[in-house]
Amino acid sequence: MDLGHDERARPALHGRLNAAPLAALALPLLAAAVAGGLWRAGAAPPAWQSAGLAHGPLMLSAVFGSVIALERAVALKRWWGFAAPLASALGGAALLAGWPAAGAALGVLAAVVLLAVHAALWRQQPAAHTALLVVAGALGLAAQAVFAAGGDALKLWFLFPVLTVAAERLELTRLARRPRWAAPLLFALVGALVLGAVASTALYGLALMALAAWLLVFDIARRTVRAPGLPRYIALGLLAGHAWLAVGGLAWLGIAVGCPGRDLALHAVGIGFLLGMVMAHVPVILPALTGLRLGFTGWWYGPPLLLHASLLWRFSGALHDAALGHAAALLAFVFVVATHRRRR
Amino acid sequence: MSFDYEGPDELRAPVTAALNRVVDPELAMSITDIGLVYGVKVRDQGAAVRMTMTSAACPVADLIVDDLHHELGRVFGGGAPIDVQLCWEPPWTSDMMSERARRFMGG
Repeated sequence: MDLGHDERARPALHGRLNAAPLAALALPLLAAAVAGGLWRAGAAPPAWQSAGLAHGPLMLSAVFGSVIALERAVALKRWWGFAAPLASALGGAALLAGWPAAGAALGVLAAVVLLAVHAALWRQQPAAHTALLVVAGALGLAAQAVFAAGGDALKLWFLFPVLTVAAERLELTRLARRPRWAAPLLFALVGALVLGAVASTALYGLALMALAAWLLVFDIARRTVRAPGLPRYIALGLLAGHAWLAVGGLAWLGIAVGCPGRDLALHAVGIGFLLGMVMAHVPVILPALTGLRLGFTGWWYGPPLLLHASLLWRFSGALHDAALGHAAALLAFVFVVATHRRRR
Repeated sequence: MSFDYEGPDELRAPVTAALNRVVDPELAMSITDIGLVYGVKVRDQGAAVRMTMTSAACPVADLIVDDLHHELGRVFGGGAPIDVQLCWEPPWTSDMMSERARRFMGG
């Protein structure tokens, strides 16, 4: 048996590149971003204003950006890939310190490195999902550049984490029987999303709703939800997230026809879809990044339930109390993680 | 869920059982059911494993390789040389999944 005829083959590292210090950087940044959210909701003291003003970039670039970049750097296993999460985290710190130009420049640097990481992953495994990662990375870079130039990058910026998630889910749909047109349809939706982000809010909202429908139809979460334990927990988190993505799309569509709903549009996607997705995957991703082993019990369901409930509450108009609910959900999640460490 | 095996016949069953215990935590399926293991060669009181992942972009590969070392270590002993090589040729396809895995995924 030939064990080495693939020139891209590499020995799997037993004992990972320990990404724990970089993963730990995301925690204070998340705390600052949440503090900023509380300030914006009128639930925090005036001293937290700087975090409040930087809330959006902190969440999108420093928190989601550094976590995504760290996942990819660990997967690629090239030392230079770790420059992306490091630059994202330092950029967030600079924004908090009141150095917006430095924060934006570091964000651009992080996006350039992450795009190079995604391109390297595509060369390693040329496939539809790695190609979509390259697209997501390019959109992230475009959004960082617009932000650095002082423009409104939010719609474009959201596409970076949303399409990164879509790429991950597209990859896993290969395990189930899916029609030939499913992947081309997803790329058509990506085109509509980009066009919508730059030219039409209505198209952006419609395309987000269509992407949510695509995920609800083709995601293997519909299968893994039948397996007990951790797979079901992850699957339910995913399916709830996809539903929130549809709500976010509907809200953007509403904005296009003159309805108020910017808070709904941003937070259905930012909290319901993205933060829900993070909570769903932490029991798998945190061990992969840090080597920390986590056990699974029913307690894991508590924080995401609180998060989704507080989000529903937010959209009933109780912004102040709901924001406290989001923060409580995150604190409870940290507690659950801390109390579920195990040896193996 | 088949893979090339080269080594003593008496170790085939325990090696296969060890691989079956390595589970993708999100998919609730073993790496053999998913079809990730291409070959195992038992040598020097240890084993060389040639395997793939469904995605080059997924950091969970390290976790799976850790578990593989642990399970094969139970077969060959803690200090035994276990060499795991990740490769991308041939590319993984759903045809490599076991019948049980295909049924679970609705195929």
